[in-house]
Amino acid sequence: MKTTDNSDRSAIIVWDLPTRVFHWLLVVGFALALITSDDSRYLYAHVYGGYLFAGLLAFRFIWGAVGSRYAKFRSFAYDWPSVTAYLKGLINGQASRYIGHNPAGSWAIFAMLLLGLLVVITGLVVLGGEERHGPLNGLISFKVGKGTKEIHELLAWSMFGLVVLHLCGVILESVFHKENLIWAMITGRKEAAAGTPGAAGHHLLGVTLLFVGAASALSYFHGYLVETADSPYRPFRGPQLPDNAVWREACGECHLAYHPNLLPARSWQLMMDEQAEHFGDDLGLDEETVKEVTDFLVKNAAEAGMTEAAWEMMESIGPDEKPLSIVETKYWKHEHKEISDAYWKSEKVRAKGNCAACHLDAKEGTFEDSSMRLPDLSKSERKP
Amino acid sequence: MKKKLTLFAAVALSLGATAASAGAVDELLQQYQTQGAGDFSAERGKQRWHEDHPDPEQPGKVRNCSSCHTNDFKAIGKHAKTGEEIDPLAPSVNKERLTDKKFIEKWLKRNCKWVIDRECTPQEKGDYLVFLRDQ
Ligand code: HEC
Ligand code: HEC
Ligand code: HEC
Repeated sequence: MKTTDNSDRSAIIVWDLPTRVFHWLLVVGFALALITSDDSRYLYAHVYGGYLFAGLLAFRFIWGAVGSRYAKFRSFAYDWPSVTAYLKGLINGQASRYIGHNPAGSWAIFAMLLLGLLVVITGLVVLGGEERHGPLNGLISFKVGKGTKEIHELLAWSMFGLVVLHLCGVILESVFHKENLIWAMITGRKEAAAGTPGAAGHHLLGVTLLFVGAASALSYFHGYLVETADSPYRPFRGPQLPDNAVWREACGECHLAYHPNLLPARSWQLMMDEQAEHFGDDLGLDEETVKEVTDFLVKNAAEAGMTEAAWEMMESIGPDEKPLSIVETKYWKHEHKEISDAYWKSEKVRAKGNCAACHLDAKEGTFEDSSMRLPDLSKSERKP
Repeated sequence: MKKKLTLFAAVALSLGATAASAGAVDELLQQYQTQGAGDFSAERGKQRWHEDHPDPEQPGKVRNCSSCHTNDFKAIGKHAKTGEEIDPLAPSVNKERLTDKKFIEKWLKRNCKWVIDRECTPQEKGDYLVFLRDQ
């Protein structure tokens, strides 16, 4: 597969269509996951990027065994000495040209496939443990999920590093051999000495792969296409949390009835003991109501660990602290530090405690990722 | 026949609703008078409603009953501090208003403390109610 003869050349198919579709969809999946990784508002899209990536990897592992000539793993399984020889050649300005992957490139590709697999597995662990979603939901603790997140990020950034290396290699080789390798990954064709065997195109399979990719995106995101202003799409549904009518009535009149899982039991106990001085208000609740509400609050407090927020809240509050205000807790401040002042001061939000202005599931108390939307300030401020 | 019946039912229902609302407010007014209040006046109630009181938390700002209920009793209000929406206060658009003695008493106690920084006298409470029930 090494060619040195440059005289009599013709274009042959090197990358069959499924391999090319795989390659570019993998780029899409990875880029999507990368740009949505930093903000819990976009977790749903991030997870799609991950699933797409995982599905493509699975396809590639099969295609590496049964695919066309240059797609087969066997066709670019070079040993380490070939890699060093190739790199030495590159430095000396006489690297050989390969029709398929060159030895250095092939090692990068195997490394990316392997690393990609690890990124997917750790991602599923984080999703199941920390977010309580996905196939591993219920099998993994918050703690393990949270711990794995750091590994997941490290692996993903290593993967990004490899992608950059891969890109450098592609550009270097393109310049060196005066052929556009990126274009080759689009058309599938490369110049080769006459008589060099080409690969089969497998067009039907390639088109099918593209179609499956598009259909998966459509079915995953279709909720956003059919949502209305009155019922915005909520991609993740959290668990059904315990509810209580007396509590909703007594605690939901002046503000959102903050679900008990947002503060520890000791905080609720203190708040109810001091109900005559509740943030400047005398709640004036009768004894019976106080008892029922206190029982409900204490029983379903953050200690019960029913949601990610509850778990994070407990982690961030010292054992002797009894915060009464949710928005003064370290965890809450950390999650909202990037939201600009304009939102808090706007007529639509008005107070930090007005969770429902941004969180679609504030009433249920689940505070899921991808269920928060900042209000559109340009359309508000229509004073009555 | 059917039409007449529904008309009858509608009249009976609305009568029932005003009767209930009149009931709760009337009973409270009577109760306030036994506690020493004199005659009640919607005009005084209106004045009291719009009377400004210093905001203990934000020096230089003021509080009044409209801080949360707004000046339009038929519109949805907004809690001045928490931003929570409050259903319209006017019994003419919100049939549930002023129908529950315990509820009215609870909120007058809370809101007076919040706005005036003390509980209202029976006289003040009665004035508010006769003003509000006509909205
Ligand atoms: C009479 C009105 C009123 C009622 C009824 C009421 N609250 Fe509050 N609550 C307030 C006000 C006012 C604040 C302060 C809001 C602010 O500073 O933005 C507050 C704040 C809170 C906060 C802190 C929210 C934050 O911003 O972090 C919690 C928690 C809370 N209330 C729980 C309760 C519970 C539990 C009940 C039922 C027992 C209850 N409230 C009933 C008026 C009320
Ligand atoms: C102005 C809009 C706004 C308000 C009001 C608001 N939030 Fe948020 N909240 C957000 C946004 C946006 C995020 C995502 C931040 C990010 O990840 O960059 C968020 C994130 C969170 C998270 C973390 C979710 C996760 O799993 O990552 C929790 C929990 C949360 N908010 C709870 C609350 C509670 C409780 C209140 C009310 C006391 C509240 N928020 C009020 C906008 C708001
Ligand atoms: C801090 C906000 C706030 C202020 C200021 C305020 N209210 Fe209210 N008021 C409320 C809330 C919240 C309710 C309960 C509304 C509900 O359940 O929908 C309420 C309910 C009431 C009710 C009971 C209505 C019913 O359904 O029967 C009356 C009467 C009332 N307010 C009168 C007043 C008066 C009089 C003042 C001025 C002294 C006042 N309010 C000021 C927040 C406020």
